[in-house]
Formats: sequence, structure tokens, C-alpha cells
Amino acid sequence: MSEDTHLGGRHPFPSTRWSVIEAARSERAEERQRALDVLIPAYWKPVYKYIRLHWHKEQEEAKDLTQDFFVRLIEKQLLDRFDSSRARLRTYLRVCVDGLVMNSDKAAQRLKRGGDIALLSLDFASAEGELQELQIPAPGGAEEFFAQEFARSLFGLALERLRRECEDKGKGLHFQLLELYDIDEGGKNFTYEEVARRFAIKATDVTNYLAFARREFRRIVLEELRDMTASEDEFRREAQALLGVRLG
Amino acid sequence: MNKALLGLLLGGILGVFDGLTSWFTPAVRDQLAMIVFGSTIKGLITGVLTGYFARKVNSLALGILFGLTVGLLFAYAVAAMQPGPDHYYFAIMLPGSIVGAIIGYATQRFGQPQAATR
Amino acid sequence: MRWLTDSALERLREAADAPDLEGTRYRLINKLGQGGMGGVYRVEDRTLEREVALKVISIPECSGGWSARLLQEARVIAKLEHPGIVPVHDAGTLPDGRPYYTMKLVQGKRLDEHLKDVPGLSDRLRIFLRICDAVAFAHAHGVLHRDLKPANVMIGPFGEVLVMDWGLSKLLGTVASARNLTEPEENKIREAGSDEGTAHGSVLGTPGYMSPEQTRGDALLDERADVYSLGVVLEFLMAQGSPQPVPRALAAIRRQAMADDAARRYQKVPDIAVDVAHFLDGLPVSAYPEGPFGHAWRWMSRNRAWILLLLAYMIARALVIFFRPG
Repeated sequence: MSEDTHLGGRHPFPSTRWSVIEAARSERAEERQRALDVLIPAYWKPVYKYIRLHWHKEQEEAKDLTQDFFVRLIEKQLLDRFDSSRARLRTYLRVCVDGLVMNSDKAAQRLKRGGDIALLSLDFASAEGELQELQIPAPGGAEEFFAQEFARSLFGLALERLRRECEDKGKGLHFQLLELYDIDEGGKNFTYEEVARRFAIKATDVTNYLAFARREFRRIVLEELRDMTASEDEFRREAQALLGVRLG
Repeated sequence: MNKALLGLLLGGILGVFDGLTSWFTPAVRDQLAMIVFGSTIKGLITGVLTGYFARKVNSLALGILFGLTVGLLFAYAVAAMQPGPDHYYFAIMLPGSIVGAIIGYATQRFGQPQAATR
Repeated sequence: MRWLTDSALERLREAADAPDLEGTRYRLINKLGQGGMGGVYRVEDRTLEREVALKVISIPECSGGWSARLLQEARVIAKLEHPGIVPVHDAGTLPDGRPYYTMKLVQGKRLDEHLKDVPGLSDRLRIFLRICDAVAFAHAHGVLHRDLKPANVMIGPFGEVLVMDWGLSKLLGTVASARNLTEPEENKIREAGSDEGTAHGSVLGTPGYMSPEQTRGDALLDERADVYSLGVVLEFLMAQGSPQPVPRALAAIRRQAMADDAARRYQKVPDIAVDVAHFLDGLPVSAYPEGPFGHAWRWMSRNRAWILLLLAYMIARALVIFFRPG
């Protein structure tokens, strides 16, 4: 598997809802791998950062625990007990991480790696770098911290996919405008006219390209999120939590 | 009923009543009819003037003040016209001014205001 | 993968949630607010060259329940043409498939924010009467609001009073809903809206303002549910930042409006409005039966000026009679 994680190829959205939970519980190794392909890119950084900042683990121990967690997720069938009507998947996973950390014993609990699940090499260095930008979560703020990191991870994946799709369609400028206005700091200070002059396009093109990029970003975020949720209800709740009820 | 007419009617009624209360002053009891007549005239004039004022000026405070002033002035005039050494200024002007104030209040609160001219 | 700061995350959230207005007559200006179901945005209507408010669903869904709810809200408000009810201008579907509607952009303050500028009880009660007007009109046209609260009343720059957010409105006489939503779907929406402490976004009402029958989830609601909520609004108007003690008659009106048993409440909104209007005019109120002393005291309060003037006359007469100079 690659050094830096990314989704190992897109799975076309099936006519019936593909459930990451059912795939993770499948008897077939390739289905379980497919589930990992969805879960790991979205969750490994939140899990690692959570273990480092919330549980105050040192770097090496946090790396081991993160690796252990995803192995256990599949091999110990941690998702068998998950009930989407009672909790969100990400809350359940966070609680599983808590359980793992509390019971951790380096010598006795580490599982033999290998078998029919290949581990991804995770770019812990980049995650460690990102930790410098974060604050230690307040007591009682574990859920909010994990949710924020999950959102950061999911949006990051969605942006990567959007960038690739825009480049494939020859719409690289569309993505650049999204970066300028919605990712870079201070982007909102530029008027559409200024940006139009910079890129030698019309101001109306700036509006249209930005609308395209935002629309596609939303579509991709929701597609990624749908893959990571077990049911339509959970998808709706997660989408509401991810997108709604915030005002600057 | 417009304000001037209301003032006229109320002034007349209160004037009669005000005149009748002079029965409580034995010294002037034998002149009761004259007093009532004079008080009624005073009330009518005070009433129509105060009512006319209320048609032009929409202010409760000013209306009361106007009525009180007009009532006081006419009461003074009536008192000044009394024959004999005793003019009963206090006995006539004090209640007279308050009657004027009552008419002022009533004409400001009630009665049809002046219709807007085109 | 690029590192996203917290502020970048917020901007991306807003960008993902913002309505896609490409190809429509509208141009996005800024976001005004967020409810349980969707966001409200200030947009420019390029055809009519004016600013309007646009409401759009945030949450994606497959069953069509949310879309039906939003369109139903728009249709309900569109039928209610009243100066106290925000008018709907347009409705449709955005290029990204989300339904929306546009309505008058109300530039003003929410009632709870406006109250600091209204210290007098009489002025507050007059505002309350105008809220009652709008709600009574809706009831007369077969519509319950179900989410009346100060945050859903706007006071415009010229003192106009507008009842907003008819998102939970319901047609009178129907079980549960006039919409295509089934009861299980409504309950799911309630759960979604009440997640993570966002009780403000609870779709079927707001705790503290909901009638007991709404809290219980009774299927058949009527005007008395809104009467209850109006009672809570009245209580808010009386209590919020006002140094004056609450008059007993007004407290009695509030108590009757907020009776737990709907049969003991005012049966219709005009009934509570009449009592509040009577209170303002110093007349008897039905919620507060008075004895003869109460009647007399109230009559005297209403006719203070007369009584003072007559008293002045009687004192003057007494002075003249008993304290004649000489």
C-alpha cells in the first residue's frame, strides 16, 4: 500500500446502498479490505491525534495503538456489536479507541500482524506535524474533538478527490478558485473582479467556476460520507452535524 | 356631536349645577335664581369657547388650561358685577375655574374633532 | 493532503451548504441563519432588483420527506396574505436538487432582541396583540403555527410585527400532518433535529414554548396549542427586563392561556387578544373575575382625570361654603 493514504480507487455507488459496516463484517477478505479502504483514510488521523492529545500518549505508542486499532477493527470484529440506531459510527469507533487504550499492554495485547489483511503505511509524520496546530481537547470535549478531526479528514479527502476530478476534466482553475476563496486565509478579501484579472477570465466566470467547485465539493463530501455510514438515518444525522448549525 | 356643541351643552349643565350649589351659602340664597341664570350663561359661553378651542387644538393639557382660564375670567366678570360691597370673588372664581377645567377636559376627550378641509 | 485550519473547515462547511444559484435569477449575498432543516440566505433577485431571503434544505435525503416539508411550508405561507405574516415570493428546486423558497427579507430585530428598546408594558402588549392578529388569521385559514416563540417574531424598522418560521405549521383538522410525511418520518426528523443539544432545531416545537399536548406528541392538535405558546410569549414579554410588577389581571390572562388542560385555556386566539385589549383599556378581563371593590377600583383607575376634577370642584365648593373669608 502507498506511503500516504488515499482511497484505493473509487467504488461506483451501487443501486442498493453499500454499507461499510456490512463489508467490514463480511466473511470475504476482499470485502473487509474494501471496508478498510473506506474507513482508514477517513479515520486514521482522527484516531492518532485523539490518542496523542486526549490520551497523552507518546508518538511511538500512539502509532502502535493506531495500527492495532484498525487491525482489531476487522480481525476482532469490533463492528459486530455496532447498532446504527443507537449511536453514530464515529462515536462508536471513538469509544472503541478509548477501550483499546485503557486496556493496552504492549507485550501481551499486540496482535500478530499480517494474515489476509495488509496494513497501510500511515504517514504519521504528517499527522504529527498537524498536531502542532491543535489544542489539547478540554475535559468533556472528546466527542467534539474527534468530530472536528473526522470532519477535517473527510473534507481533506473530498478536496483531494475534487482536485483530481477537476484536473481530469480540464477544470483545474475551478479548483484553484475554491482553494483561493474557501481554503486559503484572506481569500474573501479578493473581489471577483480582481481574481478575474489575475486569471484572465471574466468576473462572471469566477462566479460560475466557484459555484461548480462548491457544488462538486458538496456532492463528493456527501458521497464519501454516505459510504462511511451504516444507514440513511445515520447519513442524514452525520450530514446535518457536518454541514449545519454554525453561523459566523 | 362636535366639540363646540358638546362644550355648550356641558357648560350649560355644569353652570346650572354650579349655580345651584350656591344654596349652601345662606347669605345669597334669596338670589338663587339670578345666580343660577348667571352661572348658566357663564357656563354656556365658557363651554362653547372651550369646545371651539378643542376643535382647533388637540392637547389635553392645553384644553384644560384654556377651560380653566376662560372659566376664571368669566367667573371674575360675574363676581365683579355683583352689587354691594361683597363680590364673593373667591366663592365664584374658584369653582368657576374648575368648571372651566372640567369642560376643557371633556371637550378634548370627547366630541367629533374638526373634519379635515380639502 | 493539505492541512485544513479550523477557519478553512468553517468556510468549506458554509461553501458546501450554500445554495447553488447558478442558472437562477438569484445571486448569493450572505447567510442569515440556520434552522433545524435548512439555512436562510440573503440573496439578490436580479429580475426585480431587490434583496430577498432564501430558505433551502441543508440536509440531503432520499425519501423526499424534507423536500415535501419545505414546499409545504412555502405553500402554507403563500396562502396566508396578512401584514403580520412574511410573504412568500417564489419556490422551486436548485440546480443541486435541493428545494428552496424565497420570501420577504425582514430587516429588523427578533422580538427577544427588540424588547430592550421597549420598556413599557403597554407597548409590549400592543406588540403581543399584533402577534395574535397574525396567528388568528392563520387559524381562520386552517393553519397552526406550532412553534410560536419570541425568536420567531421579527420587528421591522417601522415597527411592523411579523410572525416567521412556519416550518412546523400544520393544517388544522388533520392527523399528525397534512404533508406526505408519515408519523415515523416525523419522529425521525424530531430525533435528527434534537441531536447534540440542538433543541432549538427540534422540528416539532421548542421546549418551554410547546403546549403539553405537543410535548406528549398528541396526534390531533388545534388552535389551543398555539394559544398556549402565546401565553408563554406573553409571560416572556411581561417578565423580560421589565421592572414593573405584573398586574393581577394580566397574570390571570397568562395563567389561563397556559393552562395544562386545553379545555381550561382560551379556546381561540381572539379570546386572549380581547382580554389583553380590555386590560389595556382598563376594562374587565374574563380571566380575572373581580368583586365590587375590584370593579370600583378599576373604574376609578380608568376615570382618574374625571374623579380628580370633580374632587377638586367639591373641595373648592366645600372651601367656599365652610371657609368663606370674613
